[in-house]
This record gives sequence, C-alpha cells and structure tokens, in this order.
Amino acid sequence: MARRRIGLAYAAAALIPIAILAAACSSGGSTTSKPAASATPTGPALSASPPSGSVSLSETGSSLLYPLFGSWATAYQTQYPSVKITPASTGSGTGISDASTGAVDIGASDAYLSSSVRASTPTLMNIAVAISAQQINYNVPGVSNLKLDATVLAGIYTGKITNWDASQIKALNPSASLPDLPIVPLHRADSSGDTFLFTSYLDAQDPSDWPANLVGTTVSWPSVSGALAETGNSGMVSGCGATKGCIAYIGISYLAKTQAAGLSQAVLKNGSGKYVSPSASTIAAEASSFVNKTPSNETISLIDGPAANGYPIVNYEYLIVNSTQSSSTTAQAIRALIYWEITTGQGSSYLTAVNFQPLPASVVALSENQIKKIG
Amino acid sequence: MAASAPVAGPRGSSGGAGTPPPRTARIPGFMVRYGRVVARNWLPWTGRVVAFVPTLVLAFILAVLIVKALPAFRYNGLGFFTKSVWDQGGGYNAVITNSGGATHLSGASFGGLAEIVGTLLTSFIALLIAVPVSIGAALVLVERLPRQVASGIGMFLELLAGIPSVVIGLWGSLTFGPFIAHHIAGPISRIFPAHVPVLDYFHGPAGNGQGELTSGLILAVMVIPIIAATSRDLIRQVPILPREGAVALGMSDSECARRVTLPWVGAGIVGAVVLGLARALGETIAVAMVSGANFSSLASNFYGGMTTIAAAIVQNLDSAFTDGSGFSIDVIAELALILMVITLSTNVLARFLVRRVSGTALPVGRGF
Repeated sequence: MARRRIGLAYAAAALIPIAILAAACSSGGSTTSKPAASATPTGPALSASPPSGSVSLSETGSSLLYPLFGSWATAYQTQYPSVKITPASTGSGTGISDASTGAVDIGASDAYLSSSVRASTPTLMNIAVAISAQQINYNVPGVSNLKLDATVLAGIYTGKITNWDASQIKALNPSASLPDLPIVPLHRADSSGDTFLFTSYLDAQDPSDWPANLVGTTVSWPSVSGALAETGNSGMVSGCGATKGCIAYIGISYLAKTQAAGLSQAVLKNGSGKYVSPSASTIAAEASSFVNKTPSNETISLIDGPAANGYPIVNYEYLIVNSTQSSSTTAQAIRALIYWEITTGQGSSYLTAVNFQPLPASVVALSENQIKKIG
Repeated sequence: MAASAPVAGPRGSSGGAGTPPPRTARIPGFMVRYGRVVARNWLPWTGRVVAFVPTLVLAFILAVLIVKALPAFRYNGLGFFTKSVWDQGGGYNAVITNSGGATHLSGASFGGLAEIVGTLLTSFIALLIAVPVSIGAALVLVERLPRQVASGIGMFLELLAGIPSVVIGLWGSLTFGPFIAHHIAGPISRIFPAHVPVLDYFHGPAGNGQGELTSGLILAVMVIPIIAATSRDLIRQVPILPREGAVALGMSDSECARRVTLPWVGAGIVGAVVLGLARALGETIAVAMVSGANFSSLASNFYGGMTTIAAAIVQNLDSAFTDGSGFSIDVIAELALILMVITLSTNVLARFLVRRVSGTALPVGRGF
C-alpha cells in the first residue's frame, strides 16, 4: 500500500513540486492507514448475501482460475444485482501483488503465498476455493499419450534434451514413433502460478536436475536455444498450437482449448512411479491424499503426492485477501462472495466446465475459518 | 510564493506596473492596494518559478532513482553488467536476509546484461533501417514529388508518428511478428551458415515472431516517421540558390543531395536521428509485446526472444511486488537509472556531434 502511494506521489511530482513534499511526508508517516480491527474473528455464521446497497469488487490474478471466477461472478451478480464484480486475468503474481498493495479487493493465485510475502504482509491470507490441475501439452503430429517424467522435462527445459527422438524420451516410450523434430520449450512470460506448479513438480521429483531456486512464479529460466515465452494460459495455447514441436504447461481449465488447438496431453509419472493422465478421478485421488495434511492457513503444495492413482500436478486454487479491510461493507461483500463460492459455487455446473474438482468438506471448513477473519 | 498570486484583487493587478497606485509599500514584488498587500506584476514571478519545474522534476526523479537503486548497486556490484539473470531469490520458501548492503531474499541474483544489450541492439537495428529510409523518403518528398502528392504523403507520415505504441505493439504481436517468423526469418536463417562465427548468429530457429528481429523492425516502424518528418522539414529549408548552383555546375540529383542539400542541414538531421534513437531506446510497451520476454539470457540468435530495459521494467514490476523484501523493486530502479544514463549520454553525444557537423560540413557559403 505504502509503495503504491509513493507511486502516486511520483505522478504528482510532474505537476507541482510542493505537492511532492506534502505527499512524501504523509506517506512516510503512516504505514498502515487502517483502523485497528479486532484481532479475534467475529463469531457470526457466514452468509452468502451481500451487504445492502451497491458494492463493487475487483479481482485480478490467475489466468487458470479466471474462467471459473468469471462464471462465478456472472452467477453471483445475477443472484445479487447490487454487487458488481470485475475480474481480470493477469497472472498469479499480479493477483498476489495487487492484493497485497490493496489495488484490488481479491487476488487469484494458483500458488500459495511465498514465505517472504507472508513475512512482509502478515495480514494476507490464501483461501482455497477449488482444486485444479495442470496438463503438459505438446504439438507433435502423430504422437499421443506420450509418457514423460520430471527428469525428461527438466532435461528439455535446461536444454539437455533438444529433439523429440532423443534417447531419454524413447526410453519412456519404446513403442511411440518419435519424429526427428526440434523441441521448442514454451514458458510463461508473466509471473504465473502455472510456472510455480510446473517448476514445483520438476523440483519435487528431480531436485538434482531442477534445484529449488528455480521454483517460483517467476524463475530465471535456463537459456535454451529456440525457447519461447508466452503470456497467459491462452498465449500458451495459441503459441503451442502455432509451433510444431513445442511443449507447454497449461492449466486444466483450458482443456477444451488445448484440444481445439490440436495439442496432445502427456501422461506424467506420479509420486509412486505410475504414469497417469489428468482426469476427474486422478485429480481427486491426488488431492485426497493431502486433505488431512492441509494446515489451517491452507498453505500446502499438492504436487507429487503418494496417491497410487493420483495425477502429480494438482493444486488448490486460492483467493488472496487481506484480513484487514478498510471498510466493513467491502469486508462483508468479500466474505459473502467467497462463502458463496465455496458452497454454491462448488456445484458441478461451475466446476466441470473447467475440469476443476470441488473442495472436500474438511477443506471447506478451513476456508470458512479463514473467511471469518476478513474484517 | 506562487500560491499567493490568486489572492490579487478582483481586477487584474498585473496592470499595476503601468498605473502606479497612490501609496506603494517598499517590498519588492508586492504593493498595497485597497488596504491589502498584493503581488505586483505576478506573472513574471510565476514564470520564474514555473521555469524551474522541469529542472526540479528531473532532479527529483534522479534523486529518487538513485536512493532506491543504491542497495541494488551495492549488492549486485559490477557483476550486474556482465551476466544475465533475473532470480528474485532462492525458490519459493526463500527468507528475507541481509547481506551485501541490502535486504533481499536469500539467493537473490540479478544481472542486467541481456536488458542492456537488448536495448542497444534493437535500437541499432531500428536506426540501421530507419535512417536511410527516412532520409530517402524526405528527399523524395521535397525534391521529386509534386506538391499535392507530397503533402498527402506527408500527412500520412505524421499520422504514422501519432499511432499509439500499444497499437503498433498489438499489430506487431498479432500480424507482423508471425508474418516475419513464417515468411522472412525462416528464409533468411536458411541462407546463413551454421558453424561460422558471427554469421551463425543469423542461423537457427526462426522463432514465433517474438524476438530481436521483430523488436528491431517494430522500433524502425515507430522511428521512421519521426526522422522522416523532421528531415523533410529541414530539407525544405535548404535555399534553392545553392542547389541551383550545384546543378549548374553539372552535379546530378544524387550528387546535389549528397554534397549540398544534406550537408546544409547535417546538424539538424543528426538531431532528428537522435530524436528517433531516444524514442527507440525508451520505447516500452510495443517492444514488451513482441520481445519474447527473455529476461535471463541474451537472444540465442537474431530471431530469438530477448528483452530491453524498458520492457523488462514493465514486465517484471508485478512479480517484483511479490518480493517480500522489496529488493526486486530496487533492482528495477537500478535498471531505470541505467536506461536514463544511456539516453542522457546519447543526448550529450548528439549535442557534441551537432556542434561538429554544423562547424565544418558546409561546402558552400552560408551567408546570403
């Protein structure tokens, strides 16, 4: 918040130097302008109905969650016309940073908050609202159901494996007829939760080839000849569709679009050594192995779990919300919206369209407890 | 100071200088009228204050950037100019630590070589194309085309200069870039040999139309109208007599252009080129949309993804805000400062060049 305000002061600087001094002084003095809200969560049961009067809520973040959030927003606004929700697909990093600076009311992220953000903004919470997964797609004509593991993927993204008929890929797929085609690895140009999920998988399964410092929403990608960067999941779909030989990581909510673009889906090696495709049952199986381990702040990675039939790249979709809101009306509106999303919004009419899985009851309870802290 | 100006009497007190009121207080710049102290002749005072605003703004921006970038300079050191890394910190569970004179995430590592080289290289490509095209266009517009046609084309030139850069960026990423990748970069890359130093930089994967070549071409498109329109106005001002004299001496049109017209306005054309260069160096959004966003390495070849300082700043700002230690913001300030130094030194160099060119290069008498 303080940073954004200094940014505003910079803009004012172009107009009147005197204004600078005033603004700089005032922003230097106050770090958080919010009134000291009561620390204990207020007890009343959550309700999905918004406060009286018109309210507008803004959301930015994850392009993986965006299609679902959009349909939620439409349904919620139809039910409660006094609420106006403006969602935007910007990438998870923007969602986190905008929510932490107060630029938007709700940030969406595929990744939970990093420890440094939790340290610098302790009032920021990540509230799980759905279970998602990530597919690994490739554009190789005539090759489908290719088996891949983290070692091969790390080899591709570090430039050690450069051709589709490389021996490492052949070893996993002895029966596939692999063409002599250069591999074009695609990665996200924007700060992305999908990048976090993908790099987490590589590091979880093969930490020697993909060290922990290459895990995050923005990573320092190793230099690979021909590698391309794309913005957003939709950029990955269109970029991979246009590039023969490409490989890309794309959120499961874009499944219909990846199929329409002619991309095939890789079968990934999971934590117990089995090769599994993403499907409703394999995603749910993976998530269920983590349900009991989910802590009260819901900060947990669901990557590469022990479930025998679990798909290895699964995650909670989070909404990033500041627990101390500047106005009680906004706080009530946010509580109502997110509560609606983890109850009514878990219906299959919303989730199956994007291939997400509903939250298990115990995780819904954890999310409810976090929602109650918003005040 | 200036704020007191509006208090002046209901009817303009600026006329006070011409008709002195009966009793005048002895305060310079102020006088008493109807029992109130009002500013005498406030306009020059306001002018004096306002005249310093640009200087103050520049000083303020520089001061803020330097203060913000100082920790980054201390931590990154000279290595910032020799490596290409954008690593906010050692992974997702990095903790905030203090070392090297800065608060940062553990394992943070930054190097701006890719950004700096990308900025200079794309601007160079842009000028390489834009300068001959623009000057040629300006010469044709002034000396060859009929007046009506020339003014029509000139209008389009000015319209081109007025297109918002985001529109050019959109065109570049949707239409122009893919066209370059499929129809231009591919054939060119096949002409060049694979294992010859320097030449193999032009060989290899032609990419998806987002990269160095496309960025340079997009910049050329944006720079051409600036240089061409300015050069056209300059060439128009070359008097007809020396040109007629040159033709009378038997010079051809091209000789006349090279030996008389262009040297006559040489200083101005250098200025126009620098104006274009400044635009190319600082252009942000259009390049960000077609650069390929490669922050951690130099372009692998002439067509590969790259980035420039300006594009890297705008594209990394959001993820920088997710850096709990705030150090990534400091590094962005460092990059901004470097960009400022590059553009300012370009301006200084241009002044130096303009002085030299205008001092010696006129082969014909200057005074009429």
